[in-house]
Amino acid sequence: MARVRIAIRDLTKTFAAGTREVPAVSHASFDVHDKEFVAIVGPSGCGKSTILNMIGSLVAPSGGEILIDGVRVGPRPGPRVGYVFQKDTVFPWRTVAQNIALGLQYRGVATAEIRSQVTEAVALAGLEGFEDAFPATLSGGMRQRVALMRSLVVNPEILLMDEPFGALDTHTKLNLHAELLSLWGARQQTVVFVTHDLSEAITLADRIVVMTRRPGRVKLIYDVKLPRPRDVIRLRETAEYLREYGEIWHALGEEFQERVS
Amino acid sequence: MKDGRRSVWAWRLGILVVFLGAWEYLTGIKAISKTPGLYWIDPFFISRPSAIAQRFLYLTSDKVRLTLWQMALSTIQSTLWGFLVGISTGFAAGLLLGRSDRIARIFDPFIVAFNSLPRIALVPLITMIFGFGLLAKIVLAWSIVFFIVFFNTFQGARSVDADLIHSARFLGAGDGQIMRTVVVPSTLAWTFASLTPSISFALIGVVVGEFIGGESGGGLGYLIIQSLGTLNAADMMVALFVLGAIGIVMALGIRQIERRLLRWRPEYQRR
Repeated sequence: MARVRIAIRDLTKTFAAGTREVPAVSHASFDVHDKEFVAIVGPSGCGKSTILNMIGSLVAPSGGEILIDGVRVGPRPGPRVGYVFQKDTVFPWRTVAQNIALGLQYRGVATAEIRSQVTEAVALAGLEGFEDAFPATLSGGMRQRVALMRSLVVNPEILLMDEPFGALDTHTKLNLHAELLSLWGARQQTVVFVTHDLSEAITLADRIVVMTRRPGRVKLIYDVKLPRPRDVIRLRETAEYLREYGEIWHALGEEFQERVS
Repeated sequence: MKDGRRSVWAWRLGILVVFLGAWEYLTGIKAISKTPGLYWIDPFFISRPSAIAQRFLYLTSDKVRLTLWQMALSTIQSTLWGFLVGISTGFAAGLLLGRSDRIARIFDPFIVAFNSLPRIALVPLITMIFGFGLLAKIVLAWSIVFFIVFFNTFQGARSVDADLIHSARFLGAGDGQIMRTVVVPSTLAWTFASLTPSISFALIGVVVGEFIGGESGGGLGYLIIQSLGTLNAADMMVALFVLGAIGIVMALGIRQIERRLLRWRPEYQRR
């Protein structure tokens, strides 16, 4: 087994809502290994995004700790960590090419080098011809592609993704799954991917962390045994996919049921 | 598209012609025929287009000591200076206070207090301090423009999307880079919304300054006050028309700059 990249130990978070303390995450522990694709699924409000935000230094834990490469996560994100938000965070005042170039500019990369890397990224994302378009003229799927390439172009070793395709229609989503898998296959980042969509988790991940309803605890960690490379469309017709889906669905279903009753 | 635009201009021209025509005609009908000086609508108060045009030609000729153009230039100059100084200081202050909760909390009551003062009430004081010239008019325009731009920029700087700042940080941006690439561009949209009202208010400040500035301040406000002294409605109308023209040109200029700087906004995108 590859070395542990992200270690989550006894992680707890309570939010203050007026005078009450609302527990969001309760004593969660799991590891993410190097070059591993881990998905976190759970009912809404289970604190899965909160865990991701704590890994990304956006939210401070109330208890427990997160270690990245053995070092405790501080108040600012490390340089090796990238983050793709669910919300559209493409800068509307920059063109597609200027958005993708952002991280390289911040790092002071030479202009010629930026240009060649951006050209490459634009081609990878299938955005040729839209380099000089402003985000206002793009579809949601294209904007999320820009956001993804913008994060990938600086080569983060760890990529945190918070329901990045949550707002997209099924067709666009499947296309982006295929693109994400091929990009990940080429660069092999360590990915933590939060989603409420179980099919998405099975399609993409090596392991799935299933959370309980609030306050979120780790209910079970499931190894996805589907072989790679995966065909995002055909995969769903295979017996293995359906069996794995059934098993995790059963565990998730218990959480939904308790909520309903 | 092109036809639509032409008909809009035709309508505008039509309205103008009808308005001026009615004005000219109605101020020419006598209430009692052959009795001089009694009109249905008395041109003494609102003058007539023909009289205004005559005065316009006279005031722009070299028969007067201070031509209309010189006065207009003085007004434009003071307005632009007040406007520019007002925008830059208002923008800087708005950005600073908008991004620092602590400084904003400290200064809040002072800003509210100063902004609630009617600026007109400051005119005598400003005149006392800065004299009757250009400087007083600029300060007056500045004192109005500053607050308009400041409040808009302040709101804009406060409402910068936190997730955009987070994304920039994840991409490796330092504080200065976040300021330049996230906060300033995102705030500019708010600042621009304040520029068109600012230019009108700058003009108000300047004209009021000219009302009491006397001849040494010059300007169109001086022409208006002087015409009041001689009960000359035609000259006043000349000054008002020129002021209106200046306002239109300046507003168009701002719209052009805005269109260039905010060309990323959805409303400027051709689909």
